[in-house]
Amino acid sequence: MIELFEVTKRFGAETAVDGISLRVESGELCALVGTSGCGKSTTLRMINRLIEHDGGEIHLDGRPVREFDEQALRRRIGYAIQSTGLFPHWTVARNIGLVPRLLKWPATRVRARVEELMALLGLPLEQFADKYPHQLSGGQAQRVGVARALAADPDILLMDEPFGALDPITRESLQAELRDLQARLNKTIVFVTHDMDEALALADRLVVMRAGRIVQQGTPLSLLRDPADDFVASLLGGEDRGLKEAAITPVSERMQPLSPRLLPKARVHQSASLRQALSVMFREQADRLAVVDDEDMAVGELSLRRLVEGRRDE
Amino acid sequence: MRVSAHARAPGANRVVVALSVAALLALWGVAAIGVAPNRIVPGTPLKLAEVAGWYGALLGSLPLLALAALAWRPELARLKLALGLALALLMALPAGLALLGALALDPALPQARLGLGPAFWLLLFLLALVLIELRTRLWLGSLAGWGMVAAVALAWGATGWVLSSWLAPLALWQEYRVRSEAFGTAVLYHLLLVGGAVGASLVLGTAIALAMRRSRRLERAGFTLLNLVQTIPSLALFGLLLAPLAWLAANVGWLHALGVRGIGWAPAFLALLGYSLLPMVRNTFVALSGVEAGVLEAARGMGMSRAQVFWQVRLPLALPVVLEGIRITTVQAIGLAAVAALVGAGGLGTFIFQGLGQAAMDLVLLGALPILAMALAADALLGALSRRLSPQENRSHGGAG
Amino acid sequence: MTSEVPPDVGRLMRWRAPLVWLSLLMLLAAGMAWLTPLFHWVEPGARQVIYPHGDFLVLLGRHLLVVSVASLLAVLLGVGAAVLVTRPAGRDFLPLVAQFASMGQTFPPVAVLALAVPVLGFGTWPIIVALLLYGLLPIVRNTLAGLEGLEAGVMEAARGMGMSASQRLLQVELPLAAPVILAGIRTSVTVNIATAALGATVGASNLGAPIISGIVNGNTAYVLQGAVLIGLLALCVDSAFERLQRGLGHPGR
Repeated sequence: MIELFEVTKRFGAETAVDGISLRVESGELCALVGTSGCGKSTTLRMINRLIEHDGGEIHLDGRPVREFDEQALRRRIGYAIQSTGLFPHWTVARNIGLVPRLLKWPATRVRARVEELMALLGLPLEQFADKYPHQLSGGQAQRVGVARALAADPDILLMDEPFGALDPITRESLQAELRDLQARLNKTIVFVTHDMDEALALADRLVVMRAGRIVQQGTPLSLLRDPADDFVASLLGGEDRGLKEAAITPVSERMQPLSPRLLPKARVHQSASLRQALSVMFREQADRLAVVDDEDMAVGELSLRRLVEGRRDE
Repeated sequence: MRVSAHARAPGANRVVVALSVAALLALWGVAAIGVAPNRIVPGTPLKLAEVAGWYGALLGSLPLLALAALAWRPELARLKLALGLALALLMALPAGLALLGALALDPALPQARLGLGPAFWLLLFLLALVLIELRTRLWLGSLAGWGMVAAVALAWGATGWVLSSWLAPLALWQEYRVRSEAFGTAVLYHLLLVGGAVGASLVLGTAIALAMRRSRRLERAGFTLLNLVQTIPSLALFGLLLAPLAWLAANVGWLHALGVRGIGWAPAFLALLGYSLLPMVRNTFVALSGVEAGVLEAARGMGMSRAQVFWQVRLPLALPVVLEGIRITTVQAIGLAAVAALVGAGGLGTFIFQGLGQAAMDLVLLGALPILAMALAADALLGALSRRLSPQENRSHGGAG
Repeated sequence: MTSEVPPDVGRLMRWRAPLVWLSLLMLLAAGMAWLTPLFHWVEPGARQVIYPHGDFLVLLGRHLLVVSVASLLAVLLGVGAAVLVTRPAGRDFLPLVAQFASMGQTFPPVAVLALAVPVLGFGTWPIIVALLLYGLLPIVRNTLAGLEGLEAGVMEAARGMGMSASQRLLQVELPLAAPVILAGIRTSVTVNIATAALGATVGASNLGAPIISGIVNGNTAYVLQGAVLIGLLALCVDSAFERLQRGLGHPGR
């Protein structure tokens, strides 16, 4: 659990972070969003003391971070950044094993852990272990960066726009993998991004920052439905907010049992989003869809009316 | 809300304090001047306190202490004051020297000579470093740098004129006085040699770079060869050129008529040319091929003719890089031309090697100091010119030190 | 085809250029006398055509000794100074040191050597000190460039992973800056070999001595002997450095 109490940071005359308070529960993925220069990266880097805060307190599981030894603190917090920061003179395996080695794990345990992580992140050992960072694609390098951050099995993971430099397709697949990892490993993650779709797709809690202050925080849905002001509304997509909400709501949440009526031809997978369902309706000029499972068996149906009005029942 | 003010009070400018302390140590610890009854006898080194007495030495230390004190709290006004003080000290250095000379020299010995001690050189060096440091901290531009150089030169010249009778015993001056004519010739010859070699390498280097752009194999072979030449020590290259040139002079009539000999300007010129070619070719080559393809494409896409592209795009973009090559080449050639004196090419190196041969250190200085000054001046001038012509570079930095 | 070559031979092959220069150098230094007929042809008038004051191997040894002592000290001091001024404690000195190191490169080596003599006197040690001082500059400059030019993301990650200052320096900063530092050392050593030869003019007995003696006595054969040996020494050392740099340059490439 990470807690920030009235945390402030100044750079010279400029106040980068202005008395923010925040609580990230264990196992939660918290996304910090906002325009560039709003203080979100500074906030992130104050947690592992890459930047020291000037005022207020930051607690890690109830203990002020200032009480920790700086290096010991960072070794128990995973850290992944946009430029990956992989050491270009080290192989992939050596890069991943960095923190365990810093923690003086025995060599066999380090090796086992590296193999485990490479498998976890879909990097075949024999193919990648001895490669150097410059031989990797952007997506592969970022996987290695995440593996390195997870190496010593930290409870907390800090990620600063880790997928910001990737092409959209790679980015989406890595986002999906991060979601899976999070579900399996149950880490506490603080995630900085300026990509709103990424934040909406990943976050349990969304924190919107502006000029060093927190403007609003809550679940993605609550922010989409109830933005505190025009700034938050426009940051979240303005008039596209409805589509964004549809994009993070799965079809399975709105589908109805199969009715005795004839099954429509147009179909959508049950794990698809409402936005995708809407797109299928629009394309197929249908107002009713069959919802199917992995075997293409119909498990329910979804009508346009139900899709748009479903919220009322909640 | 607990907001601790972390507006860290800036600490002392440790650099200036350290330099001042070093200067103080030099002033008290090593000889400031040397006094010799005549040219032959080696001089007696004298520390400041031995010449000026304890009180005089303390008095002389005061400005340095003040400098350290001013830098202790680096507020803008104090740093500016420190800069002024260091500049004034530097300007007053010859006057101090004249004073020490007057105190130390026996008027009954007209042949007596005044030598410069290590403390003098260290003080000069450390004060120059103080000026560089303060210029950087105060964000002064190159104009201020040139201004400081001019002020110091002016002050030194004025001191030399006003206190000429006191400074006359200065050994360096004595060495100059006996050979003022030879000195002028040597400087001229040195400059001619450097200018000729740099000029020739510019023409030849551009031709080679142009040829290299046409053929990759030529490019690789050329750079390998020029790198090889650059690696061979200057003394060896001068030496290696002696025999073939002597043979050519003996067997080829028109070369002999041109004045080519195994010894003299010919080996010096050829060796300098050889060394100058690598930096020149490298920079010209980069200048010619380094213009971004997108820029050229855009220029052509706008409908500029080939000539327009060359004169309005290629040349202005390439010029600073070529100038940089000229700068490197010139600075290098000024130093190498000194070695050329060994193969009888004349120039300022003659004084260095004559002085070394006669163990007359002030004669060595007479050769070495102008070479150093020429190298620094060429570096500063050509560097400033190259920055002035380059559109991307920040113009407020660099320049004279 | 190359896969047939056993690994040690392959490694040896890569050091071919320096080894060729080295064996030529040793061969000539040891057996200069065999070439007497050649030098008689170069200098037909002279009775003595092989430099008589000292064995070439001894001259070579002295040359190497002076250069290696000066270069070793220059590397230790230069890298040390550059590391010091890039740490938080010495950061105040960085601008001055950087400016001086780049400005000092304009000092001609001859002038530095000549200025060292009045201050330090004649002999081996003054030359070593002069070479050391001059050799420091390119090493300091390149070490600074190497350390300051590291990718910000890499340094941020090193800090973020919890590496201590010394771990960052030894495991990340120095290894990554190594190619640039090595280039500086190469420049320094090459210049020192040349400048040490000039030391013969201030009384050092090394490979410069035959050249000076030859020029003074008008004996081209002496000049040739000294010049060829210095040239070979320079080429040998330079190609060894080139090989080293290529080995360090890009791991895995």
